[in-house]
Amino acid sequence: MSVLLDVHNVTMHFGGVHALTEVSFDVQDGEFLSLIGPNGAGKTTMLRAITGVVSPQNASIKLAGQAIERLATHRRAALGLAMTNQIVRPFNSMTLRDNVALAVGHQRVATVFRAITAINRDTERKKAGELLEMVGIGDYADQEVLGQPLGRLKRLEVARALALKPKLLLLDEPLAGLNHIEAARFADVVVGINREGLTVVMIEHNLGEVLRVSDRLVVLDNGRKIAEGEPESVMRMPHVRAAYVGKEADHAAA
Amino acid sequence: MGIYELSLATIVGINIILALGLNLITGYCGQISLGHAAFFGTGAYVVALMAKAGYPAPINLVCAMLITGGIGIVVGVASLRVRHDFLAITTMGVGFLFLGIVRQQDSVLGGEMGLSGIPSIGLEKPAFLMLVLAVAALCTLFSVYIKKSWMGFAFDAVATDEDTARLLTVNVPVYKLTAFALGTAMAGLAGGLYCYFTRFIMPDDFGFITSISVLSMVAVGGIGSVPGVIIGTMLLTLLPEMSEFLSDYKLFFYGALLFGVMRFAPDGLAGVGSSLRGMLKRSGRAV
Amino acid sequence: MLFLELLIQGLIYGCMYAIIAVGLTLVYGLLRILHVAHAGLFTLGAYLGVIVTNATGSLGLAIPVSAMCVGLVGMAIYRLCYQPILSKPPYVALIASIGLFIAMEEIFRLIFGPYGLTYTQVPLQSPVSLLGMSLRMVDIFIVFGSVAMLGLLSWLAQKTRIGIAWRATVDDPQMAGSFGISVQNVRYLNFFIGSALAAVAGIFISLLSNLAEPTMGGVPSYKALAIIVLGGLGNVTGTLIAAVILGVVEAYGTIYVGNLLDRDAIAFAFLILVLMLKPQGLFSRK
Repeated sequence: MSVLLDVHNVTMHFGGVHALTEVSFDVQDGEFLSLIGPNGAGKTTMLRAITGVVSPQNASIKLAGQAIERLATHRRAALGLAMTNQIVRPFNSMTLRDNVALAVGHQRVATVFRAITAINRDTERKKAGELLEMVGIGDYADQEVLGQPLGRLKRLEVARALALKPKLLLLDEPLAGLNHIEAARFADVVVGINREGLTVVMIEHNLGEVLRVSDRLVVLDNGRKIAEGEPESVMRMPHVRAAYVGKEADHAAA
Repeated sequence: MGIYELSLATIVGINIILALGLNLITGYCGQISLGHAAFFGTGAYVVALMAKAGYPAPINLVCAMLITGGIGIVVGVASLRVRHDFLAITTMGVGFLFLGIVRQQDSVLGGEMGLSGIPSIGLEKPAFLMLVLAVAALCTLFSVYIKKSWMGFAFDAVATDEDTARLLTVNVPVYKLTAFALGTAMAGLAGGLYCYFTRFIMPDDFGFITSISVLSMVAVGGIGSVPGVIIGTMLLTLLPEMSEFLSDYKLFFYGALLFGVMRFAPDGLAGVGSSLRGMLKRSGRAV
Repeated sequence: MLFLELLIQGLIYGCMYAIIAVGLTLVYGLLRILHVAHAGLFTLGAYLGVIVTNATGSLGLAIPVSAMCVGLVGMAIYRLCYQPILSKPPYVALIASIGLFIAMEEIFRLIFGPYGLTYTQVPLQSPVSLLGMSLRMVDIFIVFGSVAMLGLLSWLAQKTRIGIAWRATVDDPQMAGSFGISVQNVRYLNFFIGSALAAVAGIFISLLSNLAEPTMGGVPSYKALAIIVLGGLGNVTGTLIAAVILGVVEAYGTIYVGNLLDRDAIAFAFLILVLMLKPQGLFSRK
């Protein structure tokens, strides 16, 4: 198995706050890796550093062997990186289908010359319909985004990310805000996608689902990596449990 | 058609070209510009100088477009660095900068007094009107085409949520620059035609009020909607002329209308239009 | 000597810009709206100042009366114009504000005529000699008046319950609301204070030029907009510093770059230059 994503020595601070300190890990091709840790550990910052939304002071990030830490976000996306947001961000001026169609046709907008000469959206809209089916919301394809329930919008985010035919899918708390049953179903959708060969890195607080679906875990606390390995063995490590419990004890004491 | 009606129609045509240009920048791509008049003026001054130097009209108009579009790209680069509210003020600043420079250049640009004695384009008034309307029609078709194309699709994404657009591989900076280039080039073309129309231009023609007037035509019509913008432009150009009484109140009328539309119908005429259509559809079914 | 004269002139204008800009940045900090109609309130203040002074012969009466009235008008503008459209995209409030400003300017022109109003007897014109330069009382009055008002405002913000409540609301409206602070009242206060300050600034300008005319609000307010961007939108201290800097830059700029750019353009050229180097403004909040 080869390494798809190599994250090395990422350090990021905002003002006086050290969000990440020398975090390193790698992601094998085809695996399902979950990034866990108490609130404020730096998990979302890590994902943003990988996509390029934030620029760490120090980082070496390689996707399929290619260094991407200096590239703009849209270039990294073009190289095969896709991400879904913790707070869903659909284009609310478009229907669900069009949201995905834009992603399907992303090659068409790669240059302005290509974009201005291309009119037909039929192929892409059809493919968008298929992707929406795949994540279970095909029936709502031609509805407007405004007013859709959260569960559907989360699936829309995934469909849109998949439309890019990415090599690596990053998910930021995809199960947040979903109830027990919705969360399990959604997790199954993601697992299905992973089994088809797409590498997944997921941030999640819902430890039940995390343990059920992940191949490996990486644990962050206070901006540092404190553990990694198989889910069961990681959760048994005393310092990992301490990190979670410690935060709860802090809250209880305050 | 009398001379007065011909002139009015010509101005409407020129304003449509100007407004469609702003619609591209602000309506399609979501980049608010309060300095559009600067590009209108740039086109006018380019044509004025070149025409007086003896160059033929087609070349002058094309140069007006290219030079204005080029400056538009420079301003666009500025827009990349700043966001939203900063952008509005920066573009306003660009407008004042243009005025400031032009007002001080007495030698070449005529300073406060402007440039006069601009040669005729060689067309009689009715023929010139035809030219302007033809150009306006072309710009309309172009705008509609862009909307339908994948460029329009990308613009929509950039205008709605540029960070997410980036995550979907859209090269947001390049699209913003393209919107500026195309929109300002259209403004430059309008400026060139305006120059041949009046044959006398001065800095006050291209001030902040003009920028606001164009923005109001777009806003009242419905930002992003080509038919809305055209109707909004016609309305705002013609109504004040339609009665003597209104003429002195013209500016007050602009202000009140701008305020009223934004306060009560922010989607402009286009929004009102689609609400009406929605209502008619629903009542149709009920019947 | 020229150096000092320019500096003083810069300071005087800087003080006026500061008072106008503070009102603008107060509104922006709270509501994220570029309150262009602020310029209309500035002009209204000047008109009221001239009218009341001419009617009663007392500038000392005119200033508080004008400030009070304009403050109330400002509150009304918030309630009737901005509050209903807070949830719309930002360009809606911006364009509505611009429309309101234009309408206000025109109302002044239609009611009082295009040439404006003058003082029957301009107050504070007696000459004052300072550091070898000849100034007028009004110049001293403006600087001291501005400093006093801003000092008062600062004291209010730091030491009184109202001030603390206001700052809390700007930082985090939801949190403030859950502490029992009436966000609505804070907004009214905001507009009242900002508008009252604009009125005083208007009176200052009318004293300098012995004129209150319909278009007087435009240019100072455009510059105030540039200033609040320079100072970091919503950052009051930054705005004050930026205002004085701009006043001085303008004063020197007219001398050195005056053949390239006219005075008003200098302010914007400076703004654009700064923004290109520091897109968040000179002193941004973060």
